[in-house]
Amino acid sequence: MPYSAEISRANPSVFMFLIDQSGSMVEPIAGSENKRKCDSVADAINRLLHNLIIKCARGDGVRNFYEVCVIGYGATVAPAFSGPLAGRDLVPLSEVASSPARIEERIRKVDDGSGGVIEQKVKFPIWFEPVAKGITPMGTALNMACKILREWVQRHMASYPPIVINISDGEATDSGPVPQAQELTSLATEDGNVLLLNCHISSQPVQPIIFPESDADLPDEFAKTLFSISSVLPASMRELARAEGFNLGPEARGFAFNADLVELIRFLDIGTRGSNLR
Amino acid sequence: MVPIVTAFRLPKQGYSLDECDDAFAYEVNCLRFAIADGATESAFSDRWAQSLVKAYITEPPFGMPPAEDAMMLWMLPLQHEWRQSIDWASLPWYCQEKAENGAFATFLALEFSAHGTVWEKIVSRTLQGEELKWNAFAVGDSNLFQVREDQLIATFPVARSDEFSSRPILLASNENHNYSALRDIKSASGGVKPGDQFFLATDALAKWFLERHEAGEKPWQQLLALKSEEEFAALSERLRKQEGVRNDDMTLVVIRWEG
Repeated sequence: MPYSAEISRANPSVFMFLIDQSGSMVEPIAGSENKRKCDSVADAINRLLHNLIIKCARGDGVRNFYEVCVIGYGATVAPAFSGPLAGRDLVPLSEVASSPARIEERIRKVDDGSGGVIEQKVKFPIWFEPVAKGITPMGTALNMACKILREWVQRHMASYPPIVINISDGEATDSGPVPQAQELTSLATEDGNVLLLNCHISSQPVQPIIFPESDADLPDEFAKTLFSISSVLPASMRELARAEGFNLGPEARGFAFNADLVELIRFLDIGTRGSNLR
Repeated sequence: MVPIVTAFRLPKQGYSLDECDDAFAYEVNCLRFAIADGATESAFSDRWAQSLVKAYITEPPFGMPPAEDAMMLWMLPLQHEWRQSIDWASLPWYCQEKAENGAFATFLALEFSAHGTVWEKIVSRTLQGEELKWNAFAVGDSNLFQVREDQLIATFPVARSDEFSSRPILLASNENHNYSALRDIKSASGGVKPGDQFFLATDALAKWFLERHEAGEKPWQQLLALKSEEEFAALSERLRKQEGVRNDDMTLVVIRWEG
């Protein structure tokens, strides 16, 4: 199980996001008075999809190195793309790129090259809207992920295994998430088991914790539970994370507490990338 | 002495030659050779790599190795040309954003010349019997090897197989991304004797070359035996399947100095 399969058009992989859309996601995120957790998560998912598309874009379009799925769990458990992709589960990346719900223009502050800052208009595509309603059926969401991916891994045995990223503020209100997560991560291609990464977004003003090796410093039971179901990062991923400046040990898990989601997976890399290529 | 040159270029397995981001160019009359490896993760890097090697053959930058400023000046028209070659208006948002960041490529240039000064000529000819001098400069990890009498006598700029990383320094078509690359121009030089062989190789092949040499083998013998594109393709496939060589674009230029 080396986690070394090349991700290519012939052997694509999967990014699946499971997003907590429960009522508690209207609470502000730690360290921010007015930014709701659900807004912060929606922004992060849209940026993640954006980054993934740019990463896989070439001059002639987006290469289908990945299929992408977003599942929301709250009042319902269902695929959560909005716009033309509404209701779809696994979508090839090139189709994600060409089918956002809408494209907003936002202002980005960038370095002008001589010490100043200039404002630049950037396109900000939206695929996913903030929702905060209902309970936290995390177990059911993991079950749905398992159902979708069971079939996928059977069809893609030579591929790099799917990476599932679960983003939640904590406590499952169904029987989850431990047995469902175990079932999900028992799925495997010839290259390795499905990887489950968990991001815990908390209202508690606790310093971010990224890729810990134990649950000793985690502040509550919910965080400890999410840590317990997070995959140990494979060696290849640890190396990439180290190259990005993360400090992590051999048993580091795919778990983050109050961390910036985009930062968290920016190291998931494909192919040659220059050290001055940003 | 005359050089006999063979050159090969191959895309990643599963890709077409159109999608190969490697480039080479050489001109036997002026004895200049160059290879470039376009970063797979940038847009239109194939054109950028092609443009760099072609420009070096027709009109190289001033100086050997060129200074930071000379390199910057030399690349300006190439960068302009690269931007002009893109039909920006017809690109979808994601290709536009990708291309705005620019294309990136490694670059390795090699030039042979008669020894420069009278003193150099006297010393080198009498002491070493070397008739020509080679000069090379590089940005990134495309590599040069010199073999004499079946022994590896020079390797540049990467000396050990474990020095290859997936994040080399690259020359960018967007001048704002070139500051670190220009500070990192590396150079080397040496003498040439009849019978010497030179190999220019992009990273995946160069890494294999060094690994085999470190294991006490003579990988150049396999490369010298190559007679055709088909043989190069067969060798590459074997290296990828059996020797764990990364599935990457591969370029090889072999220069043999016959006495």
